[in-house]
Amino acid sequence: MTDRTQHPTASAPCGRRFAEELLSGYLDGALTQGDRQRVRLHLEDCPDCRARFQEMTTLREATMTTRFAIPADDQWDETPRGALSLWSRRLGWALVVTWAAGLACFLLWQIAAGPESLLEKTVIFGGILGVVLLFISVLSDRLRAIPTDRYTQVHK
Amino acid sequence: MTLDTPIVGPARDAEKKTRGRGKASPTATAPSVAAGVDLEEATDRQLVTWTRRGDLAAGDLLARRCRRPAYLLALQLMRNPDDAMDVAQDAMLRFFSTLDRIDKGRPVRPWLYAIVRNRARDLMRRRQVRRHDPIAADDPEGGVELVSAAPRPDADAERAELQRRVWSALARLSEGHREILVLRDYQDLSYEEIATVLKIPMGTVMSRLHRARKALRDQLIGDEGTSAP
Repeated sequence: MTDRTQHPTASAPCGRRFAEELLSGYLDGALTQGDRQRVRLHLEDCPDCRARFQEMTTLREATMTTRFAIPADDQWDETPRGALSLWSRRLGWALVVTWAAGLACFLLWQIAAGPESLLEKTVIFGGILGVVLLFISVLSDRLRAIPTDRYTQVHK
Repeated sequence: MTLDTPIVGPARDAEKKTRGRGKASPTATAPSVAAGVDLEEATDRQLVTWTRRGDLAAGDLLARRCRRPAYLLALQLMRNPDDAMDVAQDAMLRFFSTLDRIDKGRPVRPWLYAIVRNRARDLMRRRQVRRHDPIAADDPEGGVELVSAAPRPDADAERAELQRRVWSALARLSEGHREILVLRDYQDLSYEEIATVLKIPMGTVMSRLHRARKALRDQLIGDEGTSAP
């Protein structure tokens, strides 16, 4: 690290030519030996910077000793799915949907080309169309909910 | 500003103290199929390697090791337990789906923390679209429970008060200042790890951190001014 102790900064507590940010580096033990020595000497000589450094030390100790309540272990029993599981599930769904669509088209074509009367064909197609519309409605709702449903991403 | 709370000895994050003490599951304590060694002794890096090879026990232990620090960081960034759980769950999913992209030789935790941070930012931005202020002004602690652990009642109360003031003041800092303060002073990351998480040059960490500390100090002074009779 280069020597920055003599660079002028307007915000140093003492108003001297001193890079105040080095106080943070000194506090965190992130300075080179040379910079550390210069900061130490400056602090011995400068009550303003010494007071500022003491404040910083106190605040850091306060934050480092802060403890937070963490959920109990039994709330962590859900394990995220792995990438293999996710991708295989997506591919599986794509294949199943393709297969179902193909099968449905084939059956519909068989019915349309069959010997049934127009009334019979209307009843069959009407029923199928109703089921398909209901399925599309449920599917669209489900797809819309996926981005905000975190339970799709965990094993129960 | 008067900050005369007694300074204690070297502090460590609660997560680091409790790391590895969690309830062990049968799968996690079982010998690794891939490596034939006791998983509990393995480093995070080793667990990542074995998980990539399909070792489910290693993956299970890696998840148990990482989810608590992920939650803790999410909590400190989001300041709300429910949001923190959402972010931690999302981040863990992303973490496990990107194990192949973790550079060999680099520590694992900064990668995890970077994911948590990004997920937290995403969620905060989504929340800001719906709700202008993500942190309720009348509830600066955001429902987060701060746990006091000091044995001496007087020092404990004094320090706890300062901790609460700092925690509340953090809520009013900018997102950038809050992030770097959390990573350094709550998570105790090194400057190099902070640079990795925030994706900034290591040389700018010190100056940015110092600006954040000054902003926190100014905020505390402002809080004292507004609370004085």
